[in-house]
Amino acid sequence: MRKEKQYKPTASKSLGDNNSGKSLPEPVAYIAWYRSTMDLLRSEPMQLVHLIIPVESAYRSISYLGDLGLFQFKDLNSEKSPFQRTYAAQIKRCGEMARKLRFFQEQMTKAGFSTSARSARSSDVDLDNLEVKLGELEAELIEINANNENLQRTYNELLEYRLVLQKAGDFFYSAQSIATSQRREVEIQHLGEGSIDSPLLLEREMITDPSKQVKLGSVSGLVPRQNSMAFEKILFRATRGNVFLKQSLIEGPVIDPVSGEKADKNVFVVFYTGERAKNKIMKICEAFGANRYPFMEDLGKQYQTITEVSGRISELKTTIDFGLVHRSNLLQTIGYQFEQWNLLVKKEKSIYHTLNMLSIDVTKKCLVAEGWCPVFATNQIQNALQQATADSNSQIGAIFQVLHTKELPPTYFRTNKFTSAFQEIVDAYGIAKYQEANPGVYTIVTFPFLFAVMFGDWGHGICLLLATLYFIIREKKFSSQKLGDITEMIFGGRYVILMMAIFSIYTGLIYNEFFSVPFELFGPSAYGCRDPSCRDATTVGLIKVRATYPFGVDLKWHGSRSELPFLNSLKMKMSILLGVSQMNLGTILSYYNAKSFGNYLNIWHQFVPQMIFLNSLFGYLSLLIIVKWCTGSQADLYHVMIYMFLSPTDNLGENQLFVGQKFLQLVLLLLALVAVPWMLFPKPFLLKKQHQERHQGQSYAVLHNSDDPLEMERDHDSHSHEEFEFNEIFVHQLIHTIEFVLGAVSNTASYLRLWALSLAHSELSSVFYDKVLLLAWGFKNVVILIVGIIVFIFATVGVLLVMETLSAFLHALRLHWVEFQNKFYEGNGYKFYPFSFALLSEEL
Amino acid sequence: MGFLVTTLIFVVIGFIACLCTRICCNRGPSTNLFHVTLIITATVCCWMMWAIVYLAQMKPLIVPILSEGE
Repeated sequence: MRKEKQYKPTASKSLGDNNSGKSLPEPVAYIAWYRSTMDLLRSEPMQLVHLIIPVESAYRSISYLGDLGLFQFKDLNSEKSPFQRTYAAQIKRCGEMARKLRFFQEQMTKAGFSTSARSARSSDVDLDNLEVKLGELEAELIEINANNENLQRTYNELLEYRLVLQKAGDFFYSAQSIATSQRREVEIQHLGEGSIDSPLLLEREMITDPSKQVKLGSVSGLVPRQNSMAFEKILFRATRGNVFLKQSLIEGPVIDPVSGEKADKNVFVVFYTGERAKNKIMKICEAFGANRYPFMEDLGKQYQTITEVSGRISELKTTIDFGLVHRSNLLQTIGYQFEQWNLLVKKEKSIYHTLNMLSIDVTKKCLVAEGWCPVFATNQIQNALQQATADSNSQIGAIFQVLHTKELPPTYFRTNKFTSAFQEIVDAYGIAKYQEANPGVYTIVTFPFLFAVMFGDWGHGICLLLATLYFIIREKKFSSQKLGDITEMIFGGRYVILMMAIFSIYTGLIYNEFFSVPFELFGPSAYGCRDPSCRDATTVGLIKVRATYPFGVDLKWHGSRSELPFLNSLKMKMSILLGVSQMNLGTILSYYNAKSFGNYLNIWHQFVPQMIFLNSLFGYLSLLIIVKWCTGSQADLYHVMIYMFLSPTDNLGENQLFVGQKFLQLVLLLLALVAVPWMLFPKPFLLKKQHQERHQGQSYAVLHNSDDPLEMERDHDSHSHEEFEFNEIFVHQLIHTIEFVLGAVSNTASYLRLWALSLAHSELSSVFYDKVLLLAWGFKNVVILIVGIIVFIFATVGVLLVMETLSAFLHALRLHWVEFQNKFYEGNGYKFYPFSFALLSEEL
Repeated sequence: MGFLVTTLIFVVIGFIACLCTRICCNRGPSTNLFHVTLIITATVCCWMMWAIVYLAQMKPLIVPILSEGE
């Protein structure tokens, strides 16, 4: 998705370039011819460019190049640390601004604001103004936050205080009432002095009490409920039981003023005697996070404080609400322009980051940039540079200079929204080497086609088509919003799925399966009964009475006892034929690669023997298959192929398919046997010879005229050991040959997965149809039928449309990555990453 | 409809499709070639699939034997 957007703006312009070939400089004209080969087959021709930009127009130039998005800068200061670079200060500034923006975003998400979609208000914001503005806003926001926090804290404290006052007031009230009642009892007992059963001890105690009365202190407050037991225990132990603790539950959570989080709490009152106990209790309270509040014993004062506190609470509440409104207003104004600012800051940062990659001239008057750009963009880049020079009133223009280099340029394919997903499939395996034949061209067709061979059912194909059409029709809407991971993936591959669906409908028609049900769409079936009574239709079978069913599999096969043997034989042979064709295509592409790189060694000593080997074995097998079908011969192809190797001179007997088959087999076998050493030996030796010839031209030619390979080798080794290693080349060629020879066999076998998967698909869908839908239908019961239909739909969607699609997709992927691409694709290039603002905004 | 006639139909369809892309979206020689390549590849794939299935049924060695139920 990202790529598509990035390349879009350039595609239309560059087409104009191609057409107006006359005005182009020379290299472009040459490339225009080159490009006319085919879109997408070769990556864009690139050039290494040297830009010399005056300092005063540097910023603007880079900014315009970023808008253009077709220049990949090389880091010329890679040995310098980020702090040593020219524009480190500006980057730091941008970083600071980005930090402020992140802070705003954090605050907005906390407050539940979403950054509104890009606002239309695009008043040109200057970076300096923006910096000041961001600073002011940040200071304001921080102040508001701090104030709000203080107020909130006070507010929560007051709330807690009120709770303590209420709860503790209750204790005191109940305690006092108990105490007064006790005192009354005692007084009564005093009156009735002399009664024998009056407790002596109590009496004395009560009497002596007032004189000795110790002043009891009290501490009250709130303690978190989960700590309350421990709190009590510790208090008890620390004071050796010389305290009296009373706790009471508070219903509902309380907001803790310190942490600002909701917590369940208990109100406690501790009574103690003495200073030491008090200190201990204070410390324990602190340790347990228990907030203490003063408490008056006097009832009147209590009421007074409660009313006071309540008044302050309501006052604070309004202040806090006012503060919050103010804050949300501020955040909203930020939210309006947030995206714009964010983009601006990111752009600035990327510009300075790019500027840091340029090396500064000794005179400090210009910056020197080096980088890759596609050849077609030469004019656009020059225009952008001129524009920048003009806009910044610079005296000197920037200099654009093409460098010649042996370095491998980056790979850049101009894709559109349709081809990009297919190119991604290829890129996932490996980025094409610069100007290597791109398998993406054929993948656009063969990938969905091979998928469809495994997924042949036009009912399922239509379902896929509808699903992907939904994505394609609502493309604009989807591409502007953020999607989930899986949706994003499906959306990205919508055109791949579209092609897959179209081909599935086609192969479904060929297989004659619509949710596994055959239809007689293209004329009458070719098969009929042998006689009017149709007695032996179930024993001997039907007979072909008409011309072959014109399009696809005859429907009479469906559900017959010989369906599986027939379909297996058909699909297996089809897999081999398709596989051999695709492998041939891959090998032929290797020819085009060799031709385009001017590597004739590869054509004659790699491509030709490979074609011979592949086709003399598996091409011949394909031929046999076709001949067998055309003639209706009963020959056993396994037997033919196996005995072609085991005893090639034997008579074929009844397995002979055509005249001269034995002779042909002998020739093919010989060719295959010759092709293997042909692939292996000539190339490394010829490479060595080439290298030596090149080498001789440079050094003393006369002395090295001897043809003795051993001497040459010794000589060679002493000279340029690191340049040409014969052993390495030879081993490489050996591996390549073994890989191809064994691969020819194993890859052909690997294509049989087409058979297996398509068989599995059709069997599964017929099982769901027969065993669920038809079974439910047989009961003649509406409820069972509805249940059956629901089960059928879920099984079809879940197993066939989702899982089978996935597995067929993966197998098609493997067939392309391994069986097709290993014939020609090197995939060791690196991708072109231009400096582009379009990419930046995608990353937001 | 024999093998050759249907093959001819495939060729004609492929040809018409090529013409259509040429007329409808003519975007320079390289892109046109690309479109034509895609269409030819697709036509060949479809034709191959059809031809394989057709040939396999032309002179069948086995015939459909109906199941007992039918």
